[in-house]
Amino acid sequence: MEPLRKVKVEFENVSLAYGRTRVLTDVSIAIKPGEFFALLGPSGSGKSTLLRLLAGFLHPLSGSIRVAGEDVTRVPPWERDIGMVFQNYALWPHMTVRRNVAFGLEERRLPRTVIDRRVAAALELVGLSEYGERRPGQLSGGQQQRVALARTIAIEPKVLLLDEPLSNLDAKLREHMRVELLSLQRKLGITTIFVTHDQEEALSIADRVAVLDQGVIQQVGTPVELYDTPANRFIATFVGTINLLRGALVESGGRAVFHSETIGDIPLNLGTTAPGPMAIAIRPHALQLADRGGTADAGRTWLDGTVLAREFLGEFVRYNVRTGPAELTVDQPHYMGEAGFAPGAEVRVGINPAQVKLLAD
Amino acid sequence: MKAAAVTPAIAGSLPVPAGYTWQQAAVAVAIAAFLLVFLIVPVVTVVYVAFADGAGGLTLSHFATFFHISLMHESFWNSLYVGVWSVAIATLIAVPLAYFTVRFEFRGSAIIQTLGVLPLIMPPFVGAVAMQLIFGRSGAVNLLLNDWFGFTIPFMDGLNGVIFVEALHYFPFILMNLVVALNNIDSSMEESAQNLGSNGFRLFRRIVFPLAMPGYVAGAALVFIKVFDDLGTPLVLNVTNMLAPQAYLRITSIGIEDPIGYVASVIMVIASLGALWISTWVMRGKDYATMQRGYAGLAKRKLTTRQTILAYGWIGLVLAIVLAPHLAILLLSFAKVWSFSVLPDAYTLAHYASVFQDSPRAIWNTVLFCGIAATLDVVIATAIAYLMLRTRVPGRNALDFTVTIALAIPGVVLGIGYLRTFKGIEIPFTGELLTSSWILIALAYTVRRLPYALRSCVAALQQMHVSLEEAAENLGASKRRTIWRIVVPLMAGGMLAGFITSFMTAAVELSTTIMLVSSQDDAPMSYGIYLYMQSAAGRGPGAALGVLAVLIVAVGTYLSYRALGQRAQDARDVQRLA
Repeated sequence: MEPLRKVKVEFENVSLAYGRTRVLTDVSIAIKPGEFFALLGPSGSGKSTLLRLLAGFLHPLSGSIRVAGEDVTRVPPWERDIGMVFQNYALWPHMTVRRNVAFGLEERRLPRTVIDRRVAAALELVGLSEYGERRPGQLSGGQQQRVALARTIAIEPKVLLLDEPLSNLDAKLREHMRVELLSLQRKLGITTIFVTHDQEEALSIADRVAVLDQGVIQQVGTPVELYDTPANRFIATFVGTINLLRGALVESGGRAVFHSETIGDIPLNLGTTAPGPMAIAIRPHALQLADRGGTADAGRTWLDGTVLAREFLGEFVRYNVRTGPAELTVDQPHYMGEAGFAPGAEVRVGINPAQVKLLAD
Repeated sequence: MKAAAVTPAIAGSLPVPAGYTWQQAAVAVAIAAFLLVFLIVPVVTVVYVAFADGAGGLTLSHFATFFHISLMHESFWNSLYVGVWSVAIATLIAVPLAYFTVRFEFRGSAIIQTLGVLPLIMPPFVGAVAMQLIFGRSGAVNLLLNDWFGFTIPFMDGLNGVIFVEALHYFPFILMNLVVALNNIDSSMEESAQNLGSNGFRLFRRIVFPLAMPGYVAGAALVFIKVFDDLGTPLVLNVTNMLAPQAYLRITSIGIEDPIGYVASVIMVIASLGALWISTWVMRGKDYATMQRGYAGLAKRKLTTRQTILAYGWIGLVLAIVLAPHLAILLLSFAKVWSFSVLPDAYTLAHYASVFQDSPRAIWNTVLFCGIAATLDVVIATAIAYLMLRTRVPGRNALDFTVTIALAIPGVVLGIGYLRTFKGIEIPFTGELLTSSWILIALAYTVRRLPYALRSCVAALQQMHVSLEEAAENLGASKRRTIWRIVVPLMAGGMLAGFITSFMTAAVELSTTIMLVSSQDDAPMSYGIYLYMQSAAGRGPGAALGVLAVLIVAVGTYLSYRALGQRAQDARDVQRLA
C-alpha cells in the first residue's frame, strides 16, 4: 500500500460541559502532518471526549476543530473522512471479515474491482489475508483489532484515530502490538492520534504527547520533554514514578540551596533563581544507595536512612527508604549475583543536584 | 440522510448523538398519533362514559348503582377471587418445577421446558371445552371416580372451572419468570453466604428467595391481569357472574349506552393497572443480572432416589394434566358421539371435512388480521426502540409508557371503546362503517400486542453496543444507511421473535374479537371456534378448528426457534464482542 496523505489537525479553544460539569476547558492542540500523537491522562480527563469530538460524535460548546485547514466542527461523522478504531473494535458479527473491511468502500460507491483490490491490500497489510471469510466471533482479540485497523485503513482516511487500542490485550501482546502499530503508522505516514491512560505506552511510541487532567491540557511535548522537564506537579507524578519534596529555595553562602523541614538542605547547581517556596522532584533511579561506612561521592548530597521495604522488579530493585520524617523511593539496577539491601538496613541516599527538577509549589 | 443535526447547547458523550433530526421527530409524532387514536381516545372514552352524568358533568352515581346491583357486586368479587386463586394454583404448579430445574442436576429439564410452552399453544377457551370433557361433572375423570369410588370432584363447577383452566394455561408465565430469576442469581451470592456459615433453608429464605422474588412477582402480576381480563374462558364455560362477561353482556344486550358496562370496564382497567404498577415497581432497580462475576445460577445438586421419584412423579402428574386437554380436543375432533362416556363411542372425519368446507374464510381471516397486526407491531416497536435508545427526541419515553399501559387494557374494554369512539364513522371511499369492518379488529390486535413486540425489540437493541453503529457512521454511512445495514440485521432476531409472539397471541385471542366481529365473513378462527362450541352438534367441528389453531401456533413457535438459530448466534456474538 502506498503512503497516505498527511494532514494537520487543530483543536482551537475547545470546551464542552454537561450541565455544570466541565468536561473540556479551552483545549488547544496543533498536531503536525504525519505525526503519531498521543492523548494521555487518567480516567475522566477528557481524552476520549476529544477523540470523539474529532470523529464527530459530539459537538463542542465552543471552539473549533480543523482538519487539513478546514473547519469540520459541524460536519456529521459520515462526511469527515476520519477513520476510528474503537476500543471494543466494533466488528459487525453478521458480516465476514472481508465484508467488514469492505463496508466503508461500499458506502463510497466505489466500483467492485476497486473495492476488492483495496480490501485485499488492507488485509495483507495487517497480516490477515487468509481470514477473509471468517466471522468476527471466530477471531482472537488481537486478530479482531487488526481487522478493525484494516477496515479503517481501507478507506484511506485523512486521520487515523485509535481509542485505547492496547487496553484490551494481555501484557505480552500489548508490547508486540505497540511496535506493530508504530511500524504501520510509519509505513503509511498518516496522521495518527491515539488515546491512552498508560503513560509507558504513550511515551514509548508517540512523537508527541498531550497530557490532560480534568479537561485541561497540562503539557504538550515529546516524551523526553515530559519526562525530564514536567511543567507541573501533576505531570511529574503521572509520568513515571517520582519523589516529590516541598520546601523553599534559600540563599546560603552565595549558592541556591533547597531547604526542607523533612530532609534538611540540598545545595543545587542553579543559575539565578529567586528565593521562595518551591518543590523539587527526583526520579528514583537518579538516587543512589550506599552503605553507611565507606567513601562518599562529594558531588552528591548524602542523607542517612533506613530501608523500609524492597520490591524486586527484575531490571531493578525498588526500595522504600526513610530519611528523617520523609520517605523516598529509590531504584537500583539489579545485576546477577548482587543481593542489594534488606529491609531494616542502615543506608545512605545520594542526591545528584544535576538530576533535581524544580517545580513551582 | 444528510440532514443537519439539531444541536442543543449542551452536547454529551452518552450513547446518543447530539440532539435529533426532524425525520426522527416526525416518526415519533406519527406513532404518537396512532396510539392516541387507537388506544388512548377509546380508553378515555370508556372511562368518561362511566363517570358522565349525561348533562356534561361528572358523577359517581353509576358506580353507586353498580355496587347496588347484587349481580355486579358478586361479579366484582368473583373476578378477584378467580384472579387470586388462579395465581395461587399456577404458583403451586410452577414453583416445584422451577426448583427442580434450577437446583438439581436433572435430566427431566427438557420435559420442563416443554411444559413451559405446551399450555400456551392452546387458546384457553378451547382448553376450557376440552377440560369440560375430561374433568366436568359428566366428564371422563368423574365418570371413572364415580364408577370406582362412588364420588365426584367438582373440578369444573362454576368458578372452579375457570380457575382450573386459567391456572393450567398460565402457569408457564410464572415458571419461566421464576427459572430466569433463579438462573440470574450469581453463584457468588450463594457461595459468599455459605462461606459465612449459612446453608439449607436459612440460605433459601435469606438469599435465594428474596433475590428471586421480583421475577416471581412480575410473572404473577402478569398472570393476574390476564386472568382478570379474560372474556372467552368464562363465556365458553357459561360462567357469566364475572366482570368481563358482565361488561360484554350489558353492552351487547342492553346497548352501547348502558353505563354499567362501562363501570365494569373501568374497574377492570383499574385492577389491571394496579397489578401492572406493582409488577414494574418491584422490578425497578433490581438489576441483579449485571453483577456477573462468578457463574450465573445456583450450584446444582444431585438428587437422592426418593427425591428423584418425587420429582418425576410431580412432573408426570403435571404433564398428564397439561396434555389432557390437547388429547381431548384431538379426540373430540374425530369423535362422532362423545357424551357421558370416558372415551368417544365412534370416530369420523366428517368434522374436518365440514371445517374445510365452511371455514376456509375464517382461517384466511386469522392469517390476514394477525399478519397485519404483527407486521405493524414490529415496525412500530422497532421505531420506538430506536427512538428510545438512540435519539433524544422529547417524549420518547412517554411512547414507551403508553405502549406498556396497553398491557393493562382488557380486550373487552378496548372493544367497547372502539365501538363507542368510532360509532358512525365511515371508511373513506367505501361508505362502509368502520365499526363493521375487519380493519378495527386488526388494529385492536396491533395495539394490544404492541407491548410484547416492543419488549423484544428493546431487548435486542439494548444488547447492541452503540459503537457498532458509530463505526458504520465513521466509515461513511449516514444514519439511515446505518439502520438499514447494521441495526436492522442485528435486531432481526428480536424482531422476528416479536412478530411471532404478536401473531400467535393475536390468533388465539377472543375477548376483543367477540366485541368487534360484526359478520360471519369477518370472523377469524377464534370466533369461529367460539360459535361452533355453543351448540352440541358444533363441538366436533369446533374441536377440529381448534386443532388447526393449535397446529398453526405450534408450527409458528417451532419456526421461530429455528429461524432464530443463526440470529441468536449473532446476538450472542454481539454481546460477547461489545
